Amino acid sequence: MSSISSLLKPSVTMRRTLSGLMIGAMMTAATVLTPMSRASADTVLTIGIEADLAKLDPHISGTWNTFKALSHIYEGFVAEDLLAQGVSTPPIVPALAESWTVSDDAKTYTFKLRQGVQFHDGTPWNAAAAKFNMDRMLDSKFKYFQPGAVPMLQWVWGDLDSYKVIDDYTVEIKLKQPNSEFLRRLAAGGSGTPRMISPAAIEKFGNDGIGQNAVGTGPFMLTERVVGEKTVLSKNPNYWDPKRAPKVDRLILRGIPEVSTRELALMSGEVDMIATPSPDSIDYLEAQGLTIVKGPVATIYPIWLNFKEKPLQDVRVRKAMAMAIDREGMTKFLRRGTAVPAYGILNFGGPGWDADYRDWPFDPEGAKKLLAEAGYPNGFETRLDWTMGGGGDVNTRADAEWLQRDFARIGIKASIETFDNGTYWDMMAKGIREGSCCMQVSWGETGFYWLDLVVSKAATPPNGFNSGYYDNPKMDELLAQARSAPNEEGMVAKLHELRDAVTADVAFIPVYTPLQVYAMRPNVKGFVLAPQHWADFTSITKE
Amino acid sequence: MAKLILRRLFGTLPVLLGVSFVVFVALQLVPGDVARTILGYNATEERVAALRAILGLDRPILVQYVTWLGNLARGDLGQSVALGVPVLTVILDKIGASLILMGASFALVLVFGLLLAALSGGHHRSPLDRMIVLLTLVFASVPPFWLGIVLLYLFGLQFRLFPISGMYDMANPGGLPDLLRHLVLPAVTTAVSSLAVVARVTRGRMIDVMNQPYIMTAKARGLSRPRIVYVEAVRNVLPTYVGISGLQIGYLFGSAIFSEIVFNWPGIGLQLYQAIIQRDFPVVQGAVLAIAAVFVFGNLIADLIAAALDPKRAT
Repeated sequence: MSSISSLLKPSVTMRRTLSGLMIGAMMTAATVLTPMSRASADTVLTIGIEADLAKLDPHISGTWNTFKALSHIYEGFVAEDLLAQGVSTPPIVPALAESWTVSDDAKTYTFKLRQGVQFHDGTPWNAAAAKFNMDRMLDSKFKYFQPGAVPMLQWVWGDLDSYKVIDDYTVEIKLKQPNSEFLRRLAAGGSGTPRMISPAAIEKFGNDGIGQNAVGTGPFMLTERVVGEKTVLSKNPNYWDPKRAPKVDRLILRGIPEVSTRELALMSGEVDMIATPSPDSIDYLEAQGLTIVKGPVATIYPIWLNFKEKPLQDVRVRKAMAMAIDREGMTKFLRRGTAVPAYGILNFGGPGWDADYRDWPFDPEGAKKLLAEAGYPNGFETRLDWTMGGGGDVNTRADAEWLQRDFARIGIKASIETFDNGTYWDMMAKGIREGSCCMQVSWGETGFYWLDLVVSKAATPPNGFNSGYYDNPKMDELLAQARSAPNEEGMVAKLHELRDAVTADVAFIPVYTPLQVYAMRPNVKGFVLAPQHWADFTSITKE
Repeated sequence: MAKLILRRLFGTLPVLLGVSFVVFVALQLVPGDVARTILGYNATEERVAALRAILGLDRPILVQYVTWLGNLARGDLGQSVALGVPVLTVILDKIGASLILMGASFALVLVFGLLLAALSGGHHRSPLDRMIVLLTLVFASVPPFWLGIVLLYLFGLQFRLFPISGMYDMANPGGLPDLLRHLVLPAVTTAVSSLAVVARVTRGRMIDVMNQPYIMTAKARGLSRPRIVYVEAVRNVLPTYVGISGLQIGYLFGSAIFSEIVFNWPGIGLQLYQAIIQRDFPVVQGAVLAIAAVFVFGNLIADLIAAALDPKRAT
């Protein structure tokens, strides 16, 4: 009672007491609740990522983020070596197939399967398991057919003719026509991936249950999945490839969508590593003694130009717009070194990318002249339809403002309207609306399939994402020729032809390639950042 | 009392029905296509149309709503597009964490709301009163997402008193003490503005009560000041206090959504946020409906308690 009555007499001490009340209460709570220190002998690597994962079913999983787990749980016939250093595209290496041969007509692939490999549940990997998975993806009469896999994996199996088991460890896949990128598409991912799931697990958990009970052959096994919270993977002690044997015992992937929280969790040591800190925080994090690893990702941010808008129907106007944009300045001052300028429609990380290629120079004066020649000496009014972006996109709105300023320099007055990512993609699918000149999303893969969806005439809305109605039938021909080229050189030659045509038509304005950034605590070592939308975490050690 | 409970319980039905309709229609108006989301951007238009037909998305909106409502009555909220599990499972998984956070915040609101009101209202115009008035003004104006980050920075990072995120330690979950440690900062963040509102409104009533003749009488009779303020006066502000506290339940749930995102608290708010980003419409529908239900029932319970406390209102 005495303490309360003393509180009732207003005094200096009392004010202090009260101001200290909250803090005091918190400190007491903290002391009382000090966690039990539990010595755990195993090393646990916790990574804070941009969002929680979607279902862990490789045949129907469509987010890049989810591949951070999928690529560790599951494997396919071949893989992209994400630990290779100093490459712009990850090399293709054997995985569940030890070797393969390709027929002279480049239409028949015969895979020799690796022997002695087991799925995490002990089911043996063999041709029967391979066929089970192929049936699940492709055969509508199969008991465990997954209907969602057909559209999702169209980019992989589009040229498929047939597949059959030759013997216990040999599988033959026949294509209707050669596909120079077939192995790449077997190895890559992003929009589904033909990786192998334990047949016994599918029988046990059912077609839908596998998304929560992933069982593959990869270096990590799923041990716990709490939706919206965490995915716990543990080291596969029987993993076949010593190069990819995990160096930590457990890997915890935590979705932390709020970037400030992600950074604070890293600084406090609650997580060991985070993906995509804010560009404004990178210097600060580095000053705190944290390690920053960054590198370009197989992506490009091109501007889609609307060919239905009257001024943009003149190539001189489109070229003027391209020449108005200061890409170097944008990456240096706005993106603060977390992006590099992109030239040409072929993305970094994909086939045919050329570091020395240049399209149009930054030349506002020349751009003004071109506009005048085209009959727009005073420019025109238009609109930029923009998006805040998804998990990996950072502050894209500022890009639009930068472009607005660059366009204003040559007299083009552009307003900006911003939409959420989902709405924006639907707008892209419908085609750029009237009155808008431009849209932009990030796209690009380690293969070139995305170009089929973006530049070809066949992809004109609503059949794809040629959202600016770029009408050049040559695109479809060149893409088909690149796909059916007998070898990589032939494919690249066709892609270069395509790139040069897009540049000549100024159908798209490539702006930049973003760098993906990971930040980690100083005791986390050995991380290799691949030019892919997800990374291989098996090489990481934690001291 | 039983009659009142029944009447109020019955009264919530149209509210919930209305909410369900608004939620359903609002999501139909959002541009976007569930079928397209499921099949991915590589799917052809025909395949998307076929799936739309399978899902019944091509039928009139009222028919879709009635079907949805029928399923809802059977506890079937559909399947999560992103996660591939029933929406009901996701909601039931997450609502517990949200209720823990809300319960803790509500406890803070109740305890500190009344305490601050008594400390300030019972000593009208004292320096302590002025300080509390200022403090509650600041508290009432602070947005939870900002306060959350500040608290994280101070008590999570600088003083290392509390963990930054989540509900349990990820590597070594430690039971109740672990949960409480994780709970302090998000609960404070969620509670602060409601706490201030409760304190200010109750303080006003407290000042009125302190001027009542019976308090004068008590003073004249020489009762100790603490007894007058904390026993005689407080008893008479209780109906106001309970009423205003009950109204905070809805606001608390609103703040809790922000706290969940900032503190990565694995509740329904964080799930809703991720579902919106992933365009997981069935989960968005289910989560909003669950939040509305908690809101409605929270207010119902508060009303009933207020009625029970107030002899004039108990019919």
